[in-house]
Amino acid sequence: MSLPKKVKKSLNIAPGPIQGHYPDGYDGRTTPNRRRELADLINDDGTFLPKSLLHADLDRGMLDFVQTQLKTVTNGKTINVIDRILTLQRWAEFSQTWKFSTSDKNVNLPFIVVVRKPEVQYGSNPALQYTIPDRKQFHYAKVPTWDGNRKGYDIYTIPQPVPVDITYDIKIICNRMRELNNFNRKTLQTFTSRQAYSFVKGHYIPIVLESIGDESKIDTEDRRYYQQTYQLQLQGFLLDEEEFEVKPAISRELVMFGFDKKNRKKERKNLDVHNPDRVRTNVDFPPGQVTQTIVYDYKNNIRVRRLNNIASVVFEITTLENNYPLTKIVTEEPFLINSGDTLKMTVVKNNPGAARLILDEKLVR
Amino acid sequence: MANKKIPITRISKFFGAEDFALEQNIGMEWLHGDMHFTLVLFRVDSKLSDVDDVYGESGPEEIRFKVPVEFNAYVKIDEPRLDSYAAGLVKDLEPGNMTLGVYLKHLEELDIDINYGDYIGYPEKEDKMRYYTVTNDGRVTSDNKHTIGGYKAFYRTITCSYVSPNEFKGI
Repeated sequence: MSLPKKVKKSLNIAPGPIQGHYPDGYDGRTTPNRRRELADLINDDGTFLPKSLLHADLDRGMLDFVQTQLKTVTNGKTINVIDRILTLQRWAEFSQTWKFSTSDKNVNLPFIVVVRKPEVQYGSNPALQYTIPDRKQFHYAKVPTWDGNRKGYDIYTIPQPVPVDITYDIKIICNRMRELNNFNRKTLQTFTSRQAYSFVKGHYIPIVLESIGDESKIDTEDRRYYQQTYQLQLQGFLLDEEEFEVKPAISRELVMFGFDKKNRKKERKNLDVHNPDRVRTNVDFPPGQVTQTIVYDYKNNIRVRRLNNIASVVFEITTLENNYPLTKIVTEEPFLINSGDTLKMTVVKNNPGAARLILDEKLVR
Repeated sequence: MANKKIPITRISKFFGAEDFALEQNIGMEWLHGDMHFTLVLFRVDSKLSDVDDVYGESGPEEIRFKVPVEFNAYVKIDEPRLDSYAAGLVKDLEPGNMTLGVYLKHLEELDIDINYGDYIGYPEKEDKMRYYTVTNDGRVTSDNKHTIGGYKAFYRTITCSYVSPNEFKGI
């Protein structure tokens, strides 16, 4: 029985590159181009360090987000947005709303106001949660320095940003359903993928639409108006420039050793003062053995110093030339042997017992 | 529309503009001459004040004021409130709210307006001034209480709450 057509019979386990500029796939060793681009945005018009990102910056980011991303137009008129986070100072509230106020100094409808919940919670962004303890500093940049004499580097380090969640109530107060509809449409379109992004000092900060509530005043006898609250949660982080550190990198290294001259127990007794260029090599021939070979790692002159129980000796030097072994018999002393050569010694013993050949070797530089 | 004036002819059989002016002058003479409660109005100059870009806030040293103006009003101060900051701990005893009755004509003569958030100083003793902030500037005077027999409004009720020296401490 054949397999259904929908079942794949082969899988490509080496799919093509996702990023065009990494034809062989991202190797994990270089900084991706997009990350470089983002770092440039963060450092733009500033120092080598990222710009600090604090509560006021996030609040400003939310105000800008509402002003630009949620800008709502009804009948050709843009709905006014109070361009401040309103606080306890009463006169500040008045000074922000007088531009679109009535003769009784009340705010003219429709308008949108951003109300921040004063408490800021520890962030729920999983990328930043409880991952690195103790405010450990991490390398951010290596900046070349020049003090007039020496070239060096400064190492810039920053700690992990602190995640924060800030909740905002975006309130629209108006008299017409059309205004509500337009603002609702704009908001839902912006948050189609659940989250939208505010761009604060080069950082993309996610904003999540939490809920939509209605607090409209629709009484029979009193004044009627619509009031709806869109609760947004900004999942930001705090990056405090007070915590940044700049340290000079190592520009010169001095290694010092200390010795205790009084402790002579560990001193070697027979340490040669000079590095010798002559050595004496004993070549032993046990009973029943008449040949020995030595492969030399250095170039030297060899002569026979002494023979014990040896009537005569024949030296053969084997050299590799073009990977072919070439053997020659030595006829006179001293003879030169090169690095990599093999010396074969064949002896004729005076009697069948053990024999010894003592060679003098002088290093040739 | 704002310049277009409509004559008030209500209850004109018994009461008119002259009567209204007389009543008002008698009241003002009593309040300003006999009672003579004097207060100082500090109007915030929001254009010159050094405000925060995001919150519109400023510290006590950063607020700028227009020239302080002395004015007269009928003053009522509530009892001090005993409270605490931390569920019974760290007690806080502060003055109660202040309610002012101010003649509209008096404000017109001084060419001033009292706005939401302005500061008002009340000399409690020779060497002690208490400061309050306007929480309700009483701008809407449509109710019967603020009129003389329903003819026309003649005063504003302004409510103020105490401010700590951390927010405002005079000039």
